[in-house]
Amino acid sequence: MKGRQGEATMNGKAKLLYIEDDPDIGSWLSRDLKERGYEVEWLPSGEGAEELAADADLAILDVMLPGLDGFTVGQKLKKRCPGLPILMLSARSAVEDKLQGLHFADDYVTKPFHPDELGARVEVLLRRFGKGEDQPVRLGHLEVRPRELTVTDAGSGEEIALTPKQLQILLFLLRNPGRILTKEQIYESVWGESFLEGDKTVMVHIRYLRERIERDPANPRLVETVRGIGYRVRPS
Amino acid sequence: MKKLIQKLKRPSLIARYSLIVLSALVMLPLLITLVGLVTMTSLSWLHPPASPSIYSNTTKLRLAWEAEAAAMGGESKEQAAVRLKAWIQKYPRSKVFRVDGEGSLHDAIPARKDFPAQWSAAYTVEYMKEAVNGVRYTVVSFVGDNRSEGFIVVEVPRYLTLPYSQRLDGVGSTVYAIGVMIMLTLYLFVSFLFFIRIRRRLVRLQAAMELPSESGLPLPVSLSGSDEIGRLEQSFNGMIRELEQSRRREEAEEALRRDLVMRLAHDLRTPLTVIRAHAFTLGREALSAQGKESLQLMTGKLDYTSELMENLFSYNLLVAGKYPYRPQRTDVTRLLRTQLAAWYPVLEQAEIELDSDLPEESIWWQADPQWLERVVDNLLQNVLRHAASGCYVAVRLLTENGGTLVVEDRGPGMDAESTFKGTGLGLAIVDLMLVEQDLCKQVRSGPDGTIITIWPDPERAKSNCQSTDELSTDF
Repeated sequence: MKGRQGEATMNGKAKLLYIEDDPDIGSWLSRDLKERGYEVEWLPSGEGAEELAADADLAILDVMLPGLDGFTVGQKLKKRCPGLPILMLSARSAVEDKLQGLHFADDYVTKPFHPDELGARVEVLLRRFGKGEDQPVRLGHLEVRPRELTVTDAGSGEEIALTPKQLQILLFLLRNPGRILTKEQIYESVWGESFLEGDKTVMVHIRYLRERIERDPANPRLVETVRGIGYRVRPS
Repeated sequence: MKKLIQKLKRPSLIARYSLIVLSALVMLPLLITLVGLVTMTSLSWLHPPASPSIYSNTTKLRLAWEAEAAAMGGESKEQAAVRLKAWIQKYPRSKVFRVDGEGSLHDAIPARKDFPAQWSAAYTVEYMKEAVNGVRYTVVSFVGDNRSEGFIVVEVPRYLTLPYSQRLDGVGSTVYAIGVMIMLTLYLFVSFLFFIRIRRRLVRLQAAMELPSESGLPLPVSLSGSDEIGRLEQSFNGMIRELEQSRRREEAEEALRRDLVMRLAHDLRTPLTVIRAHAFTLGREALSAQGKESLQLMTGKLDYTSELMENLFSYNLLVAGKYPYRPQRTDVTRLLRTQLAAWYPVLEQAEIELDSDLPEESIWWQADPQWLERVVDNLLQNVLRHAASGCYVAVRLLTENGGTLVVEDRGPGMDAESTFKGTGLGLAIVDLMLVEQDLCKQVRSGPDGTIITIWPDPERAKSNCQSTDELSTDF
């Protein structure tokens, strides 16, 4: 498990800017993230963060910091580097705090957190923002290259032709590995429109997608159906 | 002394009212008397009693008329007419006429339409009867010495024959009555103004009380005087100031409390995070079976403690009414599907089968989505913690009754002995959130499992919504 996620997708090491005032948590998490294959720059306060953010691939911010709080620092970073994904990591779990954080941040994790969960969320954010996606993702017998938008059969080396929507669905599922996504979430992310009640579009597209990528579309293994809830993929 | 002067300058309401009553009791009779005196004096000045009227001496008037009648004897018609005209010039407010021996009417000055041109004996008698004590003083005299030349008549308004004192009585009474009426009206007007002004100031104060500002408290009013109402306005402003200060104090205390809770949460979660991190590191080391078991127990307790803290803070906020509540039209089907998608891996890991039965169509409730998510989270957390032995949980959304949510497990039931008995905070939060959102809950729990049913029922009173039926067997 250790370092697996980082190694799976990184060509060079992704640079993480981590701002945390608690030395115990800061030193431990920095070490853990480094072990996961990231390059980590840990700052005990928001001072100097803006300069380092320009080179960072992702920022992890604590909320309660000495001087400027995490919300203010996060907003400044987002303003300066709009393409920088920000993950808030805070002991403040009130809905208001989460809403305030998610106003500019891309994810919000409350303490105490599970290190694997944090690692997975960092990975997902990096993928979503197209950072470190230059390595192929393995999904069963498939090899998916998100940046090149190609899907190949790893066994035969043949490229599998997918329609843009099928590819978008597959990439969206891969960006959320292990997570079950509902048809509403898939539709709104891929089509960019509000889901209409009773719409079968997602179901139909997934059926066609399976016909293209599954060895046995009648018994799908790559894109799982969780009955009544949604779909998920579990990349290897 | 100064105080007295100040009081006189700014009289109180009671002083003003006393003044009005005093004026009614003392001043009014005095003023009415004054009106009488002024009236009489004015009339006396206009008609001084020292200059008597030419009509007031009736004897003299009668004798003069009789002399005229005697002198008229044997004169021609023209001479008689001249004589009567001369009389009118002397007594302009009198009326005269002549009836000749044949009963014909002549020389009526001024002309009389109410008289016949020919006087019969009967009419003459009737005229004379009416003249006695009539409104006019009347003298009838035969012309000349014999009774064959007819007669002449003079009429003078009777009030002209009265003395001045008697004649002015009527006029004086009327003027006096008008004067009294004016005085009374003036008094009523002053009283009316007094009460109208009081009313206007009270209404203004009432309006100020009923018109809250943005802060929810009424605004202070400008003082309209230093009397009782002025002091009332002063007290009202003082009360507003007190309330405003109290509100600010309350806000400051609330901010302090929230800050304290926030810091407390932070200070508790930070060491938990460190423990969790190190437990994770420890888990990557080679441990004995007992060590692994201890670590697993430690991690489980860590999860439980952080969850308990979360519930404690939420419960605290809910009870204080400070938990943000934003109700809106919410698609429960979609919300549940998303929640179950998030919970599925957790339940899967705990080897709990999730049987979800959600309709294709949307079901809308008026609720806060964050609160509903919390309700579902707490119910599933409860299943995970207390009913995992049943290895089964069903989440159904039925379309009946505007949408009915059913969460069913096959755990040992709520009354079962459990090492993970817990505080019941999670369910207490569920209850509080459901009541606030006008959602009803029914719990049926027995040794074979628990079924929790939730449905919206805005018609029913909130207090009647909760009901817990304990079933011992069979479901």
